Amino acid sequence: MSREQYNPAPLSQGGNAGGSSSQQQTTGGFNITGASNTFEDTSRPVSYLCGDCDTKVLLKGGDAIRCKECGYRVLYKERTNRMIQFEAR
Amino acid sequence: MVVRRSNGDVVESFGSSREVTAPEHEITMTMNGPHQPTNPWAPLTPEQQEARKVVNVNAETVTNTAATDIPGHYGPEQDDSWNLERFRDNFRIDFHHNKPHDAAFSLVGCDASISNAFRRILLAEVPTLAIEDVFMFNNTSIIQDEVLSHRIGLIPLTGGEKGLRWLRWFRKKPPTDDFASQAAYDADGEPSTPSDYNTVVLELKVDCRWATEAEDGRDGKKLAKEGETDPNVRYVNSNVYARDFRFLPQGQQGTYFSGDDAIRPVNPDILIAKLRPGQKIHLQCHCIKGVGMDHAKFSPVATASYRLLPQITITSPILGADAKKFARCFPKGVIGLEPSDESDPDSEPKAVVKDPMKDTVSRECLRHDEFKGKVKLGRIRDHFIFSVESTGQLRSDELFLDSVRLLKAKTERFKRHLAEFEEGR
Amino acid sequence: MSQQNGDVEMEDDMAGGAEQNGTENEDFLKEEQRLRLLPNSTTTAASFAFDKEDHTLGNALRYVIMKNPDVEFCGYSIPHPSEAVMNLRIQTWDGVSVYEVLRKGLEDLADLCDVVEDKFIAARDDFDASQPNGEAS
Repeated sequence: MSREQYNPAPLSQGGNAGGSSSQQQTTGGFNITGASNTFEDTSRPVSYLCGDCDTKVLLKGGDAIRCKECGYRVLYKERTNRMIQFEAR
Repeated sequence: MVVRRSNGDVVESFGSSREVTAPEHEITMTMNGPHQPTNPWAPLTPEQQEARKVVNVNAETVTNTAATDIPGHYGPEQDDSWNLERFRDNFRIDFHHNKPHDAAFSLVGCDASISNAFRRILLAEVPTLAIEDVFMFNNTSIIQDEVLSHRIGLIPLTGGEKGLRWLRWFRKKPPTDDFASQAAYDADGEPSTPSDYNTVVLELKVDCRWATEAEDGRDGKKLAKEGETDPNVRYVNSNVYARDFRFLPQGQQGTYFSGDDAIRPVNPDILIAKLRPGQKIHLQCHCIKGVGMDHAKFSPVATASYRLLPQITITSPILGADAKKFARCFPKGVIGLEPSDESDPDSEPKAVVKDPMKDTVSRECLRHDEFKGKVKLGRIRDHFIFSVESTGQLRSDELFLDSVRLLKAKTERFKRHLAEFEEGR
Repeated sequence: MSQQNGDVEMEDDMAGGAEQNGTENEDFLKEEQRLRLLPNSTTTAASFAFDKEDHTLGNALRYVIMKNPDVEFCGYSIPHPSEAVMNLRIQTWDGVSVYEVLRKGLEDLADLCDVVEDKFIAARDDFDASQPNGEAS
């Protein structure tokens, strides 16, 4: 399972006690977190992005650092998909 | 001289017959006290009343700048005390235009402290909805997370007015490094939890990619090889606009913000970011209500300002070529030319004041010797030409009404506090 | 944060919101006392401190209080720009109570707002009826 396919376990609806109308479906948008979305496993392939053709390149430890499509040798690490909270100020 | 009475009648009179023009309270006053020009405490004559409304704008100076409508300023017989009926009779509002994003009107007959209070409330205290928290899931664009967050925070939002008024405050925790406000915050009560009546959720999820034959009817990569340089042709979603925000109704919000009332940006064409293939932005926003004194994004107006009505008095006739030159000293439409002899349309033209509202009081006419002693410039102290430009969340005229109600709410609040205070004393 | 400081309109609304959402008492806290009397005040010469108020209320209130003939002096100040406090000084003639003067000032200002609101609505409705496109002819 790659990091992208990993789904964090659903959170308890505790932060949502405010509204009586809180069906899980409609108010689920308030529960935003990515906190548990962070485990790492070195034996699994990690995906990189080719610097030339933007295709996803899955690499395991020991693989040649090279794009499988175009042979380009510059690969970029993907941005973490951990959620970060900002204030719009 | 024209006097407006509370019943709406307009009493017009000519000459100096005071008994007709003066309001009731002044008549009783003149009957009680001796009214002679030699009396140093005599109440102001109508001419003096008019004169004290004018701020003189001279070539290099301004004079008569302070309001004098305070009891005792002219001695015991001039009645300047607060009188609701008199205020009601004298106060007037004239509309100049009234569009949702721009209203202009005149407040006539109130003090600067009052109209300034309305202006300040409009800028800083009328609550509006704006994006406050941004939850960034992914952002591989070249615009940094915090810059993007700040940028989308400033996008004016709108939605159904009823729903916007139904929304309540969200009591947000202050930043952890601000100890002073944290102490005050903890003493004040609990923080709010996000719920449908205090938080609106928006989502922005945009992926940029090459245009493909299958999905877009054009092959961006092929076109690029052929020399196409326009990113809108080569790529899909290369520009992220405010219209790409998706409103995610929570709980009861679906009933208040459905169809045309959905929460959305006022201007769908605001460019938020530019992307290239492979880059993506995925974020969710929590919008809450706030006030302009906290952050400018909560200010409901682009501008709210007033100016005093200019007054131009031509004290002796300006004729012929001078009249044309005089008209050129002012913006278009302020000064008109009329025949100096009404019966003879071919007589020498004479300068007349047509529309002082358009004047900017540039004082240009005071720089020319030929107009020396012939013209006086001033501004009417109690005539405020108000201009309110809404950012689009609420209508401009409604915003002004909100500001009036908020000032009243302030007085009522302190009336309660004063009563409470006196009980505890 | 000073933002949610003084909006009575919204706090009144909160009652409705809490009812609708079944969260009684959450937003129902006793209104904090925001009026204080400064030391060395007498009944005819007193200084009041208005918490979380500024020039908006200060100058408007100063104006209506000065309109009262019983008032010898009225002025306001904001002692420090970083503190949300507005001080109002009232001195009265002939033993008139400053509390009465302050109450009358607040009432007069409220009356004034009512007149402005009524006249504004009347003027706006007249204008909208005669100029449906919002522009003056």
